[in-house]
Amino acid sequence: MVDYQAKKEFLASFLASKEIILGGCLAIILAASFLILPWLLKGDPYQTSLNIFTPPNKEYLLGTNDVGQDILAGLLLGGQNSLKVAVGVGILSTCLAVGFGVLAALVGGRLDTFIMRMIDIILVIPNIFIIILVSAYLKPSLGLEIILISLLTWLGGARVIRAQVLSLKERTHVYAAILFGANLAYIFFRHILPELIPLVLSIFLQGARRAIFMEAALGFLGIVDPNVISWGTMINQSLNFFYLDVWRWWLLPTAGALSLSLISLTLIGRGLEETFISNSERRSKIATDQ
Amino acid sequence: MRKKKIITYLAALGFILILNFLLPRLLPGDPFMAIYGEEAALSLSEAAKEELRAKMNLDKSLIAQFKVYLLTLAKGDLGYSYALNQPVRTVISKVLPWTLLLVGSALILSTLIGLILGIESGWRRGTRADRWILLTVVGLSALPNFLIGILLLLFFAVQLGWFPLGGAVTPYSGFTGTAYLLDVFKHLFLPLLALTLAQVPRSYLLTRASVLGNLSYPYVRTAAAKGLKPLQIRYKHVGRNSLLPISASLGVSVGSALAGSLFIEIVFSYPGMGSLIHQAIAQRDYPLLQGILLVIALTVILANLATDILASKIDPRIRKE
Repeated sequence: MVDYQAKKEFLASFLASKEIILGGCLAIILAASFLILPWLLKGDPYQTSLNIFTPPNKEYLLGTNDVGQDILAGLLLGGQNSLKVAVGVGILSTCLAVGFGVLAALVGGRLDTFIMRMIDIILVIPNIFIIILVSAYLKPSLGLEIILISLLTWLGGARVIRAQVLSLKERTHVYAAILFGANLAYIFFRHILPELIPLVLSIFLQGARRAIFMEAALGFLGIVDPNVISWGTMINQSLNFFYLDVWRWWLLPTAGALSLSLISLTLIGRGLEETFISNSERRSKIATDQ
Repeated sequence: MRKKKIITYLAALGFILILNFLLPRLLPGDPFMAIYGEEAALSLSEAAKEELRAKMNLDKSLIAQFKVYLLTLAKGDLGYSYALNQPVRTVISKVLPWTLLLVGSALILSTLIGLILGIESGWRRGTRADRWILLTVVGLSALPNFLIGILLLLFFAVQLGWFPLGGAVTPYSGFTGTAYLLDVFKHLFLPLLALTLAQVPRSYLLTRASVLGNLSYPYVRTAAAKGLKPLQIRYKHVGRNSLLPISASLGVSVGSALAGSLFIEIVFSYPGMGSLIHQAIAQRDYPLLQGILLVIALTVILANLATDILASKIDPRIRKE
């Protein structure tokens, strides 16, 4: 991917996948509406009122909840929070995955064994259980949630990156660079990192997808900072009133927003994998994916 | 190989134990409340609290505390739930059968469905049928398990009224025999359907990928050249080989199904471990929460161990590694 032609080919194959286009458009529309609509609508998601359980009307486009809060405003703020968690976890867990994966592969020896063994050990227990245990004590705020989820989601990615770097390391152009006396950092940035881009993107997407899921799951269980509005808490609260009709404009839109966000990221991820990642690698990824 | 895995599992158990031990003790705030739960901190007398502190070495060093912690666990004592006024072990053993029923049947069903769909879809790779199955399952895999549960609950139980809204049996019904079993099945149906739907993508994607890999092997051509029917090749030859990756990842499936059941039980107020976790969180019943998560961790580890033994029995290639 060093020369211009390769870059162009990379972009072309990126745009040739229907899944990437569809998922990408969906993700952009969702993100844009969470960021822009609150400015236009000016609803306050925290403001309680006496109009409880109002059906959708001109003032409240999605009605109000049990304490008279504007549901649409809550939905949009929940979307912003999901977006923050997704991007935060995506970046942090990708950095951790690339950092540890590359470190293990390039340094090798005992450090490699140590890192890989730690990953094996932590991955035995599905990480949602560990996150539930920690969150039950900490009731994490958004920032802490990002850190917690990232600490548990980079592990699988580091394995994939390590395997890829190990195979890249054996290529002749890397040997040539070593012979010319290049140091590890130079080899990494010049010869290895560019080849990792598809993998890094796919790890970022997986991290973001998992983050949205976990953020909703923790909210659903009621173990996040109660002051943070999240789709998970909204779904959980609305479920208490399923015998009323409110779920039609309270639960369904929230569930829809959550599903669409997850589907968009899943689509891009699948498209990327199908375009850039070989069948056997994908197989080992499915086998270990929790 | 075997030894390395066993060490990994032991270390994973150690990791959970240390996390369970350190979390309540190192956090700011009252460790007594974090260890024994809100109910104990509010309702016990000072003398009783002192006694508990002395029993768990709470005024001594962390190492001394850890020793007592491990010794108590080694005796099979998971602690006491002050909110429910019962030993944690008793509480868990009461709900465990329901979770095992739900998770066990969902695992069997989802593996079977995933296997058949995966073989059929992989065999027809690239056709319209394959693409549609793949797209549907991928879409399904994107949905969080509790959402699948909620949608089923709203549609089939709330709107249509075909199934009960929650629980595992009709309370005070006095059903016996077939009527009781039917009642249990009616309550199990929706949670089971939700968990199965949430688990199918795993086994389907795995089977389809391994069928795609297997189809290019010469043994498939040999079988076809022998004049075997496609159905025979599909299930007896390719299907059997595609069983291997599924059985090898059964341990991970158990973990993911347990995680799924946790949320689905809450949606359907199914009286298993998931609902119990929900209750423990709401009441800040930390001994119960820790006990359940420890039991789940142990189950997952044992399932992984059993899977490794099973996999090396059916696939001799694994033994040589």
